[in-house]
Amino acid sequence: MDPSGRFYSDDSGASGEQFREEHLLPALQNLQPGEKIIVILDDGPESYGSSFLTEGFAGIVKYGYMEARPLLDALEIEYTDPDYEFFEKKIKKYISEAKFASKDYKSTK
Amino acid sequence: MKIYSRKQRERIVRWNIAHRKGLIHRKRTGSRSSTPSPAAASALHNWLTERTESGEINATINSKGFVTITLPRVMNFSDQYESTAVQINAIRKLAPRNRLFPNSLSLGLVNFDQLEAISTSAALVLTAELSKWDDHKRHRLLPRVDNWNPDIFSRFYQLGFFELFRKTAAVEKMALGVGGVGEVRLVQYIKEKTGAASKTRLLKEAITDIIGDNISKWPILNSGLSEAITNVSQHAYPESQGFSQDHKHWYLSGGYNPITKELKFVFYDQGIGIPNSLPSSEIWEKVVDFLSFVPAMERKHDELLLKAAVEIERTSTEESDRGKGLQDLLEFINERGQGYLSILSQHGLYKYSVKNGSSRVKSERFIYPIEGTLIIWKVTLIE
Repeated sequence: MDPSGRFYSDDSGASGEQFREEHLLPALQNLQPGEKIIVILDDGPESYGSSFLTEGFAGIVKYGYMEARPLLDALEIEYTDPDYEFFEKKIKKYISEAKFASKDYKSTK
Repeated sequence: MKIYSRKQRERIVRWNIAHRKGLIHRKRTGSRSSTPSPAAASALHNWLTERTESGEINATINSKGFVTITLPRVMNFSDQYESTAVQINAIRKLAPRNRLFPNSLSLGLVNFDQLEAISTSAALVLTAELSKWDDHKRHRLLPRVDNWNPDIFSRFYQLGFFELFRKTAAVEKMALGVGGVGEVRLVQYIKEKTGAASKTRLLKEAITDIIGDNISKWPILNSGLSEAITNVSQHAYPESQGFSQDHKHWYLSGGYNPITKELKFVFYDQGIGIPNSLPSSEIWEKVVDFLSFVPAMERKHDELLLKAAVEIERTSTEESDRGKGLQDLLEFINERGQGYLSILSQHGLYKYSVKNGSSRVKSERFIYPIEGTLIIWKVTLIE
């Protein structure tokens, strides 16, 4: 199943909201000092739409879970296909541009 | 004040005349009513009669009110836009789920016999409309292909058009002649409901088979397709306007011309269209702001709304419920460094093209709408 859609309510089964709430956020919460989360972009997914990336990554900042700088420091993004550099840049851009705690999170599940 | 080119002025005059005559009817809000209505049936009859008399549609009506539409010789959304869109509009109007009123006009046959050329995008939209009609008829439609042009048959056969129907002997006989060197090769269309973004892999595999190589920058195109599919879930079929889960279809196909090396991808949904979905979106205020320099009369023009929606996302750093989705559509063309993206929705066109390193945006307004959103990417493979 490819990552797609912004919210659970988009019926994609692999939305940005789901990725953030069920995978990225728990991993961040369990992160020990000095550890990083390795995000491998090209180990199966065909691509990542902006809706997925903004909600999945920038949502961490937007809903006030973590500030942008420490989030960027906690992530190590990897890929072997050079086309996926496009998505790495987007992830970093969206995180950097997100306003900390600018929105209250309400699950769409 | 704004200075219009002669072509723009002629288009505005054509539009205004059509509007005054009541040839253009638009409904932006309110629910989709399926209540039988003699007034709606009469309006449909008038609509068809006017277009038949003007020669825009070749239609005949039998004694039971069943209409035969004979398609024109050429259908495409580039230089034959209006004459193509009006056929699609007629099919949509004449093939509702339920007849508007007992004995009101209803689609009986779409005759392809005179059709000699059709673009990939027009073929996909036509297939989508006939698929919708077939859904309404509980899959009882049968194709009559005896007098079809062999090239047209070949094109629709590759597209998967005949998968909609029970196979007839005539179809199987003509299928033996499908193929040939130098033709545009089409990918069997994909019809899905919301979500199902992984189905784009089927398109990738089919196109890769045709061109015999990987599609450079495919992940970037796929992210645009993913956003188009997300748009179908979020905006295209609002329940507040009477749409249910059953309506939320999207269609996807592609084609490759080995002579010109042109590669085309086409995505289509039959929803309310991007211009109509903007007023209820988070970016509406920005759209209004963006269009504040435009004369008030023109602010609801679909081509300007489309342009505003794309341009706002290009320049905005804030999040919106649309994400950066429309922007994602452009990225494949940017990354490839040549080609174009066309978004046709309702009466508007937004075309973004890149050539020799520079980009160009074109907007256009049409008399007849695309009832939904049609997105076309076209690039040329460079050896």
